[in-house]
Amino acid sequence: MNRKLFKLSLIILGILFILALPFIIQDRYFQHLLVLSGIFIILTSSWNLLAGYSGLLNLGHAAFYGIGGYSSALLALKLGLSPWIGLPLGGIISSIFGIFLGIPSFRLSGPYLAITTIGFSEILRLVSMNWVDLTRGSLGLYGIPPLTSLKLPKGILIKFVSEQNFYYVVIIFASLTLFIIRRLVYSEFGISLRSMREDEMGSESIGIDTSRYKLTVFMISAFFAGFAGALYAHYVRLISPEMLSLSETFTVLTMVMVGGLGTLYGPVVGAVVLTFLSEGLRFLEDIVKLNIRFVIYGALLMTTILFMRNGIVGLFQKKTQGTKG
Amino acid sequence: MESLFLQQVLNGIIVGSVYCLVAIGLTMIFGVMRIANFAHGDFSMLGAYFAIYFVVLISGWVGWISALMVAAVGVGVIGFFVERFLFRPLLTRWTDIDIIMLSIGLFIFLENGAQLVFGTAPKMIVDPLDTKGINLIFFSTSMIRLLCFLFSVTTIFLLQMFLTKTKMGVAIRATSQNRNAALLMGINISFIYSITFVVGSALAGLGGVLYGTIFAVFPMMGAMPTLKAFAITILGGMGNIRGAIFGGFILGVAETLGGNYISMQYKNAIGFIIIILVLLIIPQGLFGGKQKK
Repeated sequence: MNRKLFKLSLIILGILFILALPFIIQDRYFQHLLVLSGIFIILTSSWNLLAGYSGLLNLGHAAFYGIGGYSSALLALKLGLSPWIGLPLGGIISSIFGIFLGIPSFRLSGPYLAITTIGFSEILRLVSMNWVDLTRGSLGLYGIPPLTSLKLPKGILIKFVSEQNFYYVVIIFASLTLFIIRRLVYSEFGISLRSMREDEMGSESIGIDTSRYKLTVFMISAFFAGFAGALYAHYVRLISPEMLSLSETFTVLTMVMVGGLGTLYGPVVGAVVLTFLSEGLRFLEDIVKLNIRFVIYGALLMTTILFMRNGIVGLFQKKTQGTKG
Repeated sequence: MESLFLQQVLNGIIVGSVYCLVAIGLTMIFGVMRIANFAHGDFSMLGAYFAIYFVVLISGWVGWISALMVAAVGVGVIGFFVERFLFRPLLTRWTDIDIIMLSIGLFIFLENGAQLVFGTAPKMIVDPLDTKGINLIFFSTSMIRLLCFLFSVTTIFLLQMFLTKTKMGVAIRATSQNRNAALLMGINISFIYSITFVVGSALAGLGGVLYGTIFAVFPMMGAMPTLKAFAITILGGMGNIRGAIFGGFILGVAETLGGNYISMQYKNAIGFIIIILVLLIIPQGLFGGKQKK
């Protein structure tokens, strides 16, 4: 009983700490990194749902992220739609594109699926670069409106231009994402996904309609990735085709692997650790005058796979759980 | 108009022959070890840089040929260590995701490492023949391109001889067809793995030099050959060497024609469209016998 109380108080303290963080450290740059980590948490968690829990190696995740960002930004710029509606719409549009990858995944697995998803994202990146009328090509979209201010009674106006306020928006959405993914993973749906990951034919033989599950999980994952993209678009307010590039996917993938693939909190740890590590390395780069950041990313990814397969989170878990994937 | 068409087709065949070399290496490694190596094109990049630094030492086309040899040997040695220390430990775990992720890690590492070591500016491999042009009746090209074509065709031919006529070549093909049966026949699988990976990466290195001679050499160049090689292997059936040869030429021609008649901007998308169509309609590839999943 005492233990439970201790655990509960620890969780409450943790939540309070997260909420107070922008007040503890007033530095705007630090707050900016916190916001970025939050957006990455949504993105990495959505990728983890595919690769970690379902064994569907999607290397085109940046496409979903980019589609969400571009959709929401274009809806706001061309139609003047409120970003608050644009956020879920970006997710929904991205989720429709998820169908295009979900259907090939019925028949393809492993390297075949991986290369198809790369093809999908590269084609969309080329479209975003060359459809100049709509996307302004490689110049990207700028002047994307920020999230519209909330009017509370008594004339209180909450603006979302500052990092500090945006941080709370991101925290709310990231927590919501984690909550939904947690519910999914521990539901019958999640169990079916994991059984599909371990043995596809076996799952089919016990009556799991793997095609339907694959399509659904692709759509859900794409929704969250698109949502994250839309958040990013209205936060940074400048997006370019870089958002759909392979290196974006690889960053997400590294974060999840380092944090712990197929674990609920692995993507969270990975996103936060690598966002801050990346900035730390940027300072180091200024000193040594070399671009060592991504070399270290690559080395980190390889080391993780070779020596600590379950990532940082795996180090704190019991050894009995075995490898996954 | 017709001569332009022919010119494009022949250009496509020349470029396609270079794609072939890279793709054959990829497909060999996949066929024998089931490794989908996303860092394969970076071996090409390394090969091209080896050549850049070597080709200036000896002048003339002798220098160019020996630079090719140096690139093949150098990349082969790197391939040996990569296989032994990075991929070998994963083969016992046997999960696709791990192997692919590891190769992506290697890709990120090599691409950015190369930027540190060689700088980001594109370089050209010195043309030993001073871009001498030649004109056939309806077709003009530079001598060096023709040399690239001849060289890759010869290499492909020699490789085919190696795989069909020598004992080791037969052992490699046997391992590719059925690992356990090969093991029972007394084939040293571990050795075959090393050889395959070394030969496969050496081919990528050679392809890289030719690729760098035709286009340009820069640290990020590796991604394109990798993706094209994957398109080719999927088109021809993964693990199928004859498929990779035909696939290479098909992609080369399709790209130049598509780039010319459809849209230059989407030239690089043609490979991907081929991949997606082939995988959806004939997943075993054009030359794949049985479907491998």
